[in-house]
Amino acid sequence: MAAAIPVGAADGAVAALRESTPFGDASPGLLARIAAIARAARYPAGARVYGAGDDADDIFVVVSGRVDHVFTPEVGARDPLKRMTRGGVFGWAGLLLGQTKRLATVTATEPTEVLRIDTEALVALLESQPLDGGRVRERFVGMIQREFTVPALLAQVRRLSGPLTEEMSTLSLTMYRLSLWLKSPRPYLMVIGFALFLGFWYLAVELWKLPRFREMPGLTSVVKEWISPNPTYGLSLYTGEYYQHIIVSVWRVAKAFLLATLLGVAFGLLLGWSRAFKEYVFPVFEMLRPIPILAWVPLAIVMFIATESAVVYLAFLASFFATALNTMLGVESIDESYIRAANCLGANRRQVFRHVIIPGALPFIFTGLQISIGVSWFSLVAAEMVSGQYGLGYVINTSYMMVRYPTIIIGMVTLGIVGYVTSAMVRIAGDYMMEWRVRELALAER
Amino acid sequence: MRKFLSSPAFWRGAVSIVVFLVLWEIGARSKTWMAPEFFAPFKELLGAMGFKKDYLPWIGAVPAPSGVLEAWLAVLGQPGYWQSWYMSLFRVMGGFLAAMLIGIPFGLMLAVSRAAHGIGFPVFEVLRPIPPLAWVPASIIFWPTQELAIIFITFLGAFYTIVINVLGGARSIDVRYFQAAQSMGSSNWDIFRRVILPGTLPSIVVGSAVGMGITWEVVVAAEMISGGGSQQAGVGGGLGFFIWNSYVGGSYEQIVVGMISIGIAGFLSSELLRWGGRYATPWLKLR
Amino acid sequence: MSRGQISIQDVVKVYDPEGAAVMAVDHCSLDIEAGEICMIVGPSGCGKTTLLNAIAGFHDITSGRIVMDGEVLCSDEKRMSTPGPDRIVVFQNGALFPWKSNLENVIFGPVMQGKLGRRQALEKGRAMMSDAGLSGVEHNYPGEVSSGMRRRVEIVRALMNEPKALLLDEPYRALDSLTKSVMHEALLEIYYKNKVTIFFITHDLEEAIFLGHRVAIMTTRPCKPKKVLNVDIPHPRDYGVLTSKRFRELIEETNEAVHEEALKAFQAGEKEG
Repeated sequence: MAAAIPVGAADGAVAALRESTPFGDASPGLLARIAAIARAARYPAGARVYGAGDDADDIFVVVSGRVDHVFTPEVGARDPLKRMTRGGVFGWAGLLLGQTKRLATVTATEPTEVLRIDTEALVALLESQPLDGGRVRERFVGMIQREFTVPALLAQVRRLSGPLTEEMSTLSLTMYRLSLWLKSPRPYLMVIGFALFLGFWYLAVELWKLPRFREMPGLTSVVKEWISPNPTYGLSLYTGEYYQHIIVSVWRVAKAFLLATLLGVAFGLLLGWSRAFKEYVFPVFEMLRPIPILAWVPLAIVMFIATESAVVYLAFLASFFATALNTMLGVESIDESYIRAANCLGANRRQVFRHVIIPGALPFIFTGLQISIGVSWFSLVAAEMVSGQYGLGYVINTSYMMVRYPTIIIGMVTLGIVGYVTSAMVRIAGDYMMEWRVRELALAER
Repeated sequence: MRKFLSSPAFWRGAVSIVVFLVLWEIGARSKTWMAPEFFAPFKELLGAMGFKKDYLPWIGAVPAPSGVLEAWLAVLGQPGYWQSWYMSLFRVMGGFLAAMLIGIPFGLMLAVSRAAHGIGFPVFEVLRPIPPLAWVPASIIFWPTQELAIIFITFLGAFYTIVINVLGGARSIDVRYFQAAQSMGSSNWDIFRRVILPGTLPSIVVGSAVGMGITWEVVVAAEMISGGGSQQAGVGGGLGFFIWNSYVGGSYEQIVVGMISIGIAGFLSSELLRWGGRYATPWLKLR
Repeated sequence: MSRGQISIQDVVKVYDPEGAAVMAVDHCSLDIEAGEICMIVGPSGCGKTTLLNAIAGFHDITSGRIVMDGEVLCSDEKRMSTPGPDRIVVFQNGALFPWKSNLENVIFGPVMQGKLGRRQALEKGRAMMSDAGLSGVEHNYPGEVSSGMRRRVEIVRALMNEPKALLLDEPYRALDSLTKSVMHEALLEIYYKNKVTIFFITHDLEEAIFLGHRVAIMTTRPCKPKKVLNVDIPHPRDYGVLTSKRFRELIEETNEAVHEEALKAFQAGEKEG
């Protein structure tokens, strides 16, 4: 008893589709087109919607009411009975490779209204919108995996053919998560947060002129200075000197960080892997580590003739300790079972190191690297403030001494941006190298 | 205890430390033993490579452990040295406590309320990459006294770490604890007090220990910069200032004394925290 | 020439954490025939995993001997055997390498040992996975598929090396009973195609009697065989066996022995092993 949806009710259909797992995120355009090919149907309480073995032609979306969905034992579902109300999706057997018959028996337990969507028509529609359609397909897969407890069928969900739809690449997974984020309230809350912060700064310093705050450089003066082609104090987005300072600092951090990563990871791997090495070397390491990096400044100046090397050395030292420690912890935290399994499978010590230890420790190593780059910047800035020419730390310090207050803030903000960008670069490199982790986390919808 | 002293691990570690000290001593004294004519060609080579000719690169300029020990014994009797300890500790405690008092509630608020998280976290994340020391000039301008300025910097250092750890800890509380509490009819306040707070406690402890380490880093630098680096005749004091002063005054052995002192101070305070943490979270069996 | 015959002879294992000598295995002797499915049943913490670890080579023994196909694995002179692909372990919580795809995991053994070239290994791996009903997930990472599937991939990974014995340490413990029964049939199917010796630890008596040729019921710690049961239900078996009369009789016979030990363990406050 299926009838085409009357024109006015299309919105209701779209609303119901929005509440379902597979279609919940699809673009309005796609949803409208799906609603257009859908037909409404009603079942009284107690009526059988279909039985196992029937032809699998339509996919069903529950608009209202309640159905009982029971898999046949052959399917091997963990929980054969599933009850569904509004937003529930069933009858997707037609999406499985080589499956033309129903896998379950469905009965309405209350008066129920559904949308019926022809499977083949839906597939054609999804194929015509590769990116959006691919996402819907992925959500079907996820739904089958999680909500229907029949993981064995996962592998059989038909692939959509077409130029852009291959297995969801890491890039499209990232884009997918990005699109989810944009649709949530989060971006707007973020704007509110920044508005509050900047607003307070402006009001406290320039409008209300609160005590203590009065002396601080105000938001407008900082911004004006920053974007002015002819800055009063000599540093703005338009001056070459500005970029010179940035490059100098970044280059120093790069040198320190890369050296620290190479030495630190190697050192940390050894510490974690060889007990003898750790017993010899770790005590000395732990003795030197608590000494704050900046306490080394005078000694570094004494040790290195050129201040340039001293500054890089300090940043290196900080990075090195963080990286080595985290790498060691990473190796030590690898589940013993993986190493045992590799041994059982005949791998020798070197192979275990290469195929188990290094990939297993990689997540920890990258967390350590993110900490390490932060620490590197931290030390670099301090070192630059104390002794150095050029560099953002130097800018901040001299601006203060020469009473060029807005430039202090410009320096700080620039530091923040550059620090963030470098940290993000490390994180992205990590995501790229550890695709398995990105996918694991994405599927768990962390 | 006896077992540990006789274990190979202990002896290997001891041997390394001794070797390290010996090498340090030899390297630091290179000026003396490289004096004879025998080393002349080697010295030329060093010069050609761009290093100072009279001693081994880097290590040759460092004061020797024996000298350091001597200086340390001398300094132990001076009240100025102990006052430095006291001042640094005071600043560390001040900043750290402030970080805990503000950071923990802030972190919990972000963890518990989605709206608060959406508003507060992005601003937090944007400010975080700015190293605390970059705030020194701004801090000095803003705060009336230098003490407060320094304490503010140490506060910043620990604040970020503590908030991040609290957030991480709250997120990782097993959702079943919430469900159990709800099924037993707890109010939201109850859940907060009896599930979220204790559940986050281990992360708070870890965050505090790490934050404490960072606080020491920052204190030292802040003291050096505000009391020493800039030519301000400031009310210096503190171990950072002690180090800087030793440098300026040319007593290099004292520099190392200061460095080691801070290392010890930092280590002790972290350990104290960890110990306190174990006391507060007895249900955690440390692996 | 027997293949996969394991002989456990008077094995004793004593742990010594901080001086409190804890005996985990107490003069345990058990002969496992080549190609048989031998189930080890016992309460939690009784020491059965210790036995498996000794066979596999992860722990040493304090005294006694373990021999496989006439070759001494470990004895009083050589207290710890070397892990190897002749006895492969399938771990309780799974040990598929999360950073390798399922197929890469499966071919790991032969490639590491240099027994097969990469292309051959990939072919054989695909074939074996397909046999086990796993085609379609070759290029997924273990973290992307269900735990039941992961178990099967792990078993295929082991079988790729043509081991003499499979050592399974409560592999289905974390699965619910409906998935478990499907897993059991899958395991038997695999067993019928590759006659390996299976040494299977479980605390589930029904699982034991359903799968095993023989069931050894262990005492609580320190463990030794309390009663060894011959399951005379003929192979090949299917889930129909679960409701058969003979099955129920066997359960009755052994239930009391198992329950007795479980009670002792409960009263001793054993933590799960």
